[in-house]
Amino acid sequence: MILSKSVAPTVPDYADTSLRKRVLRRIKNRPTTRGAIVLLGILLLLALFAPFIAPQNPHDLASLSVMDNRLEPGSQGMTGITYWLGTDAQGRDMLSAILYGLRTSLLVGLTSTAGALAIGVLAGLVAAQFGGAVDAAIMRIVDFMLGFPSILIALVLLASIGRGVDKVIIAIILVQWAQYARLMRAAALVERRKEYIEAAVNFGLPTRHIMLKHLLPNSIGSVLVISTISIASAITLEATLSFLGVGVPVTQPSLGLLIANGFEFLLSGEYWIAAFPGIALVLLIMSLNLVGERLRRSFNVRG
Amino acid sequence: MRNPIIYAFVAGTCLLSAPAWAQSLKIALSSEPTAIDPHYHDLSPNNALAMHIFDSLTKQDEKQKVLPSLATSWENDGKNRWTFKLRQGVTFSNGQPFTADDVVFSFCRTLKNETAIAGSFADITGNFTAVEAPDSHTIVITTKAPDPVLPNFLSGVAILSASTLPHGKLTFDVANNCGVTGKWPVVGDFNDGKLAIGTGPYKFKSYTKGTSIELERNDKHWGPAEPWANVTFVPVPNAGPRLAGLLAGDYDVIENPAARDVSRIKDDKRFGYVITPSTRVIYFQLDVEREPSPFVKTENGKNPLKDPRVRKAMSLAIDRDAIIKRIMDGAAEPAYQFLPTGMFGTLPNPPKISYDPAAAKKLLAEAGYPNGFQVTLATTNDRYINDSQITQAVAQYLTQVGIRADVDAMARAIYFPRRSKKEFSVAIGGWGSTSGEASSFLKQWPATPDEAKTIGGSNYGGYLDPEFDKLIRTAIVTLDDAKRSELLQQAGTKVIEGGAFIPLHFESSVWAYKSNLTYLGRADQFTMAMQVKPAK
Repeated sequence: MILSKSVAPTVPDYADTSLRKRVLRRIKNRPTTRGAIVLLGILLLLALFAPFIAPQNPHDLASLSVMDNRLEPGSQGMTGITYWLGTDAQGRDMLSAILYGLRTSLLVGLTSTAGALAIGVLAGLVAAQFGGAVDAAIMRIVDFMLGFPSILIALVLLASIGRGVDKVIIAIILVQWAQYARLMRAAALVERRKEYIEAAVNFGLPTRHIMLKHLLPNSIGSVLVISTISIASAITLEATLSFLGVGVPVTQPSLGLLIANGFEFLLSGEYWIAAFPGIALVLLIMSLNLVGERLRRSFNVRG
Repeated sequence: MRNPIIYAFVAGTCLLSAPAWAQSLKIALSSEPTAIDPHYHDLSPNNALAMHIFDSLTKQDEKQKVLPSLATSWENDGKNRWTFKLRQGVTFSNGQPFTADDVVFSFCRTLKNETAIAGSFADITGNFTAVEAPDSHTIVITTKAPDPVLPNFLSGVAILSASTLPHGKLTFDVANNCGVTGKWPVVGDFNDGKLAIGTGPYKFKSYTKGTSIELERNDKHWGPAEPWANVTFVPVPNAGPRLAGLLAGDYDVIENPAARDVSRIKDDKRFGYVITPSTRVIYFQLDVEREPSPFVKTENGKNPLKDPRVRKAMSLAIDRDAIIKRIMDGAAEPAYQFLPTGMFGTLPNPPKISYDPAAAKKLLAEAGYPNGFQVTLATTNDRYINDSQITQAVAQYLTQVGIRADVDAMARAIYFPRRSKKEFSVAIGGWGSTSGEASSFLKQWPATPDEAKTIGGSNYGGYLDPEFDKLIRTAIVTLDDAKRSELLQQAGTKVIEGGAFIPLHFESSVWAYKSNLTYLGRADQFTMAMQVKPAK
């Protein structure tokens, strides 16, 4: 939508439509991509309606019973509830825990990506627009952030600020914004050299107007496409952090924490505690990656 | 004289057709010692390791009974003087003879130990007013107040060799450096083995943090020779891989396989196991002092934990048997006091705390909290057996009677400093009695701190009961065993009634091993190569 409005001076409308058609055609022609989209849709719906679908609220300790812990899939609990995917060490229904875990994973993935995107895009835009010392300062911070493995930064951060969904989101935003800043800066620099921007500058339009109305809409496309793949990496990062014991609170397990909890029971033959959340996580990451990758290729973005 | 022994040994080895590895032993630990320095931190894994390389004046057997070690006998003058007769003919692994000087040197070092954690062992030697050596094999210790369990405590104080530091005449004159002219060693100085010189059954060989600790048999040891020429300790914190390593033949002995996995080796002829009840009690410590408390939220803004009825309700709300059955897989005993029944100074029949959620709700209503309140339980997730799972289960039980409980689980490296800064309202704790007496817990946790800080060091919840304080302070300086036992029982009863500590269970330790070995489990949970013998 934004594209058609401001791209108008340089890119004619028909190019836009044909691109869109091209993308749609490619997606239609690829059964894997279609499958991934359907799967992602299902997972999103399951996560969204988890409280209505789940047989148990796994975050409400009063509804759990330790006496029902580590039951095999299909077992019947003391209260008559059937645990189709078994229970974990706290007597949590695995099915419910996975549905709620999906919710946490997606919540963390989407909000942290959105947050990182907002900060990164703004930083990249400012760097590209003002150049010079501002650019250098921002890009050195970005280099610094990208110089460390993201898991290390997140671990140190969470070890100092403690557990919690909100804190995990903050940590992921802090480790991910830098890559968006770099991408955005590169895209905006290319755009800045184009004639319509020069024209806008010569017209004496205010810098803010140029940045937000011209530069931003025309350079954000590639960053947005890359961000779809980054949702998957944000979710992976959350799962890793929770697996390592610094992520979400133990009473509100995400998929990563559920896998960590189940890990120690694998050798005891109680595979379901780790295996089912593992499968859910793989499906979620895989569908997000497939969709994101397809989008990236269709728009011919390099990230 | 040596040759026949070697021949006999070789012949014996051939007859038994023992495989080549029979001489070396590999043990997988769940919790790695944090140092080779035996005075660094009074922590079970550290103490267990220290006992391979070093001896103390006394030692404790697997049931924590005190036995002679470097001291052959000891007596008390009925007040605060203890005389220890030292063993003759003992040499350190560097060939130096063991004398009273080494004892004075070692006691001084615990008081001149810059890198020690939380004054480890100085809480024992800090009570000494004088340590004298009338002759080379006698030590006379004078304590500030009578200390009836000094021989028990001395079993933990490792004796170093004075020959490792330049010194003049050694005296227990701490203010004047005890006669030592060199620089007192710090924790790191022990890791390359130069200072790890002891009289123990094994010698230090190498130490790689996080990877392995290697020991070899000390042929100069005064006691019977150990059957193992080489011993390797490997830290494997995760229970799964630890057991997998045993099953695959990588380890000869492992400590604490998950109790639920014992069934896997139960019917396997290749392996054996032993489950030993320990003296380690697991409990929750409540903040009964502050108003309001940081992790408690109530409608009236007060700290409900100050009300004994609320504390009792919390204790009644917890189903200890269910936790032991479902979380501990049976490898624990329910705790109704703070040291297992039968140990010195414990109650023979502590009142059983039965699971009674109805009574708990009633008590809460009486205390003015019919709708309960909110609380966060703080717990480690890498210290005690199933610690985080236990706390979550307790949170479930509290929530079921209306106390909406949340769990904050963290690594011990974060937890312990935060707890000592009193940052929690309800905190998990675990305590094994090093002396084997009830006084160990009572003087450390519920007692009001004294000036010298030798008691009440862990009273983070601000528990205050003057009657109890009087009892415990009298008990720990009473030499008469019958009287002391009586006083400790009375003091223990007060703490149980006070309810500021909610006992859950006593941990049982499990060791699994190859079936060509035997293992004698210890109540103090120490994993030691000396407990492993070839099966006959």
